[in-house]
Amino acid sequence: MYGTLEADRVAVLVLALGAGSVVLLVCGLAAPSPPAVVGSFVGVAASWSVSAWTRGSGAPGGTILAAVGIFVAAELAYWSLEQVSVVDEPELLARRAAGLAIRAAAALALVAFALAALDLRTGGGLLLEAVGAAAAVALLALVLLLARAGHENPER
Amino acid sequence: MSRYATPKLGAYVLLTALGLLGALIFARPELALIALPFAVALAVGLSHARQPDVRVHLEFDSERVLEEDEVALELELDARDSASRLELLVEIPRGLELVDGRNPVALRLERGEERRLDLRLLCRRWGAYRLGDVHLRARDAGGLLAWEQTLDRAAPLRVYPRPEQLRELVTPRETQLFTGNRVSRQKGEGLEFADLRPFAAGDRIRRINWRASARRGDFWVNEFHAERNADVILFLDSFADARRGGTGTLDQAIRAAASVSERYVVDKDRVGLVNFGGVLNWLRPGTGMVQRYRIVDALLNTEITLSYAWKEIDVLPRGTLPPKALVLALTPLLDDRTVSALLDLRARGFDLVVIEVSPLPFAEPPPGRSGELAFRLWKLRREGRRSEYERAGAQVVEWHDGTPLTAILEGVSASRRHARVRV
Repeated sequence: MYGTLEADRVAVLVLALGAGSVVLLVCGLAAPSPPAVVGSFVGVAASWSVSAWTRGSGAPGGTILAAVGIFVAAELAYWSLEQVSVVDEPELLARRAAGLAIRAAAALALVAFALAALDLRTGGGLLLEAVGAAAAVALLALVLLLARAGHENPER
Repeated sequence: MSRYATPKLGAYVLLTALGLLGALIFARPELALIALPFAVALAVGLSHARQPDVRVHLEFDSERVLEEDEVALELELDARDSASRLELLVEIPRGLELVDGRNPVALRLERGEERRLDLRLLCRRWGAYRLGDVHLRARDAGGLLAWEQTLDRAAPLRVYPRPEQLRELVTPRETQLFTGNRVSRQKGEGLEFADLRPFAAGDRIRRINWRASARRGDFWVNEFHAERNADVILFLDSFADARRGGTGTLDQAIRAAASVSERYVVDKDRVGLVNFGGVLNWLRPGTGMVQRYRIVDALLNTEITLSYAWKEIDVLPRGTLPPKALVLALTPLLDDRTVSALLDLRARGFDLVVIEVSPLPFAEPPPGRSGELAFRLWKLRREGRRSEYERAGAQVVEWHDGTPLTAILEGVSASRRHARVRV
């Protein structure tokens, strides 16, 4: 909704992407289906990115809220998926809630710091882009490895 | 413990990868910023993930209980290494029901922490249980990796059928040589007056019946019936079982056998057991508490085993069926092998009482006229079997579910007394 309000153009597309993602998230939690939950967060991230792209300027301030919001929503979603099998004891519940609050605060600080750093080095440069590409390739390799491990243990 | 990646790890890696790639392809830093918390959560979570080490000890507060009793199950957890989130599931077998405590449970254990969990189980059905596996699943603090382990901590629990209060037992026609509580036909030491006879050398003075002696002008002494024990063989038919819901004829028969055996043992009789079915078991007659527990333990292991093999009474070893024993058969009269074996026993001169655990409450006539006709024919055939036993001189009594066993036994006893007078 925030992305739709902020979008200069194609607000309908942003709204559709965001609303579709929320529906997918609800379905993923109700089912429960981890792939649907992942898809919903990809959709929300895409919705926000389209909204940011329509404004043209690099990394608007609202990105901090969007990034932290998506991260906290993902943490809560996976927490609720865990509760489907076994409900936490009250003591554990309180500890996990506190842990989540700390992680959210850390994410907020981290994104704000990164945003400030990006503003200082607009444009990046060849070295930064090479590091980014290497990180992305390494992550994709990790995804493939995890997918293979999951395929070998289908009972999980 | 086997380790595996949780769906959360896969999702975070995917979100990070897509965010970074999207940022590179579309030259949009927002995507990289969105991916950043996920990437950091991955890095921190994976670097701090450690395999937890938790020992589990499981014990019942009592290994022998009665049906409908509650039993406490103690789980002692000893964390050699911390577990951020430990899920614990104890497999509870059918027949036991959790009434208090949480299963499964998720908890956090610090390093060196010892925790005791109490579960209260209600023993719904008799049986020899071995509590199933204990499943452990631990996750790291970030929920990215999980470890699973199944522990075989089979704790034995024997749930005995609750004995029914029996006012009267079927009295055996013949007694044995050992001292017991039954009035024997033989004369000897006892309390029950039997007869008068002339005084003989060696008779005790206290035995002299002074009134009879004064009347007859010579010494006469009282004779008494000896008090002896008897042999009782419980013959349990485990070839077939008619069941509906949670109960059936075998359950009924086992409960009855447990109650009856207990009472006979208390009365100092020797009690044996023949479990006649797909799997043949027997217990030679014996007395005392040990024999009582032997019988109940044997009953707990009774189950229906499908078998097409024709079995006759000859398969039982000598000594299992002592002469002059009362054979108390508990059978639904569904299998021809049992019917034939019992008739064989009667032909060999055993005192036979057949308690027919009626399968009728567990059976319904099939739909349609032909189904109804078949049902009536089946009931007629059962009537025919009963008549066959009666012709052979064995008593058959039908026992329906819900009727107290004591009423059935009292009916049998009364009938046997009447039969004795008539003879």
